[in-house]
Amino acid sequence: MEEKILKIKALKKVFGKNKVLKGIDFELAAGERVVVLGPSGSGKSTFLRCINRMEEPTSGEIYFHDTLITDKNIQKMRQDIGMVFQHFNLINNLTVMQNLTLAPVVLKLMKEEEAEKKARSLLRHIDLLDKAEAFPASLSGGQKQRIAIIRAMMMDPKVLLFDEPTSALDPESIGDVLSLIHEVADAGMTMMIVTHEMGFAREIASRVVFIDEGKIIEEGTPSEFFEHPKTPRVKEFLKKVL
Amino acid sequence: MDNFFNEIVELFTTPQYIDSMLHGFALTMQIAFFAIIIGLVLGTIIALIDTAKKSKWMFLPKLICKIYTTIIRGTPMALQLFIMFFVIFAIRGFPQVIIAVLAFGFNSAAYVSEVIRSGIQSVDGGQTEAGLALGLSRFTIFRKIVAPQAIKNIIPALGNEIITVIKETAIVSMVGLYDLNMAAKDIGSGQNMASYIVPMFTAALFYLAVVYIITFVIKCIEKRLRRSDRRI
Repeated sequence: MEEKILKIKALKKVFGKNKVLKGIDFELAAGERVVVLGPSGSGKSTFLRCINRMEEPTSGEIYFHDTLITDKNIQKMRQDIGMVFQHFNLINNLTVMQNLTLAPVVLKLMKEEEAEKKARSLLRHIDLLDKAEAFPASLSGGQKQRIAIIRAMMMDPKVLLFDEPTSALDPESIGDVLSLIHEVADAGMTMMIVTHEMGFAREIASRVVFIDEGKIIEEGTPSEFFEHPKTPRVKEFLKKVL
Repeated sequence: MDNFFNEIVELFTTPQYIDSMLHGFALTMQIAFFAIIIGLVLGTIIALIDTAKKSKWMFLPKLICKIYTTIIRGTPMALQLFIMFFVIFAIRGFPQVIIAVLAFGFNSAAYVSEVIRSGIQSVDGGQTEAGLALGLSRFTIFRKIVAPQAIKNIIPALGNEIITVIKETAIVSMVGLYDLNMAAKDIGSGQNMASYIVPMFTAALFYLAVVYIITFVIKCIEKRLRRSDRRI
């Protein structure tokens, strides 16, 4: 009965001789908030980036709403798969407003006035309406990331991928960004989050997935995962990070 | 000192001398202008091939571009000019000016391509990823995101390359073309003024004036482009 947004089968990714992902099977249902945890170098970011083909998978299949993602259809699919990056990746030669409206207008999803109206209401929501005409260079990291999040929201994605959204931020901005992600989650957005913020992971996740050495080692609800980890690897990991 | 002033007057009032000077200047400008056009067009094409996404279709074009820029940048301009004149275009009656334009154009293209390539690659790849993740095409990303930022890095270096080409055309005198450099030497020679100082300094001033004007124009363009960097 629950609708699967993503189905991933035997996903492998090799960089040169380095096997980063060694066969990942995974499904994501509508409304789920999956947090992907794991030590650095475990392949969790690569896993996320293979979903919207920021990295080309070496083998395996990824289905988005039962359609196999290929090189041919990925561009269209990406309109429904939003991504938020560790380094924000705002477009430097465009104002905040242009950053928000560029894709929906160029892709003819919205008229310009419509897009600007939506952008303004999102900006007002995150209290940055006064920055609409500013260029990214004048913004703080936290402001940039919150704008990057609403830029992804402009497309009304079916799923939002967060790739370490707070790893490049100072402690004070982290709170702002996390609370915005919480709001987006509360609005019912399906999301996958790669993060090192354990407290946040525990609060926001409906499911936790633990990856190590390119494989999913353990998954479960946050309370199962954090309070009753099954595998020794996760026990060891939690002992170090908590 | 009197003699010096007399020579200046002589150069600028003897129709034969001043005409030769202006003709030489016109030829220099002609060769430089068309060579720069060829350099910009060919250089841009090479840079786009060089920075294009790797694929099996792009392998051969990329390899050809690599070999081309390596050879051009690795050999002296004067030798390339000789090869063009005495090997490739050793055809009686073929217009010499065109050979010179091609020689300088092909040479400049290699340098222009490097300037443009590094300009494009200096735009942080994260912004391209952001564009891709939003579902934009590579073409749109190039046009709206990469190119506008690359141009800001490219313009100053391109200005340098234009100036270099203008000055480098002086070596066409080695294959007998009557450019500004050659004119100065000719007018100063024994059959004419029998003194090099005035014609050569005059030629230097001509070059300097052109380079100064181009530097000024480039500065103005840079200033305009930098407006989007303003921080509000």
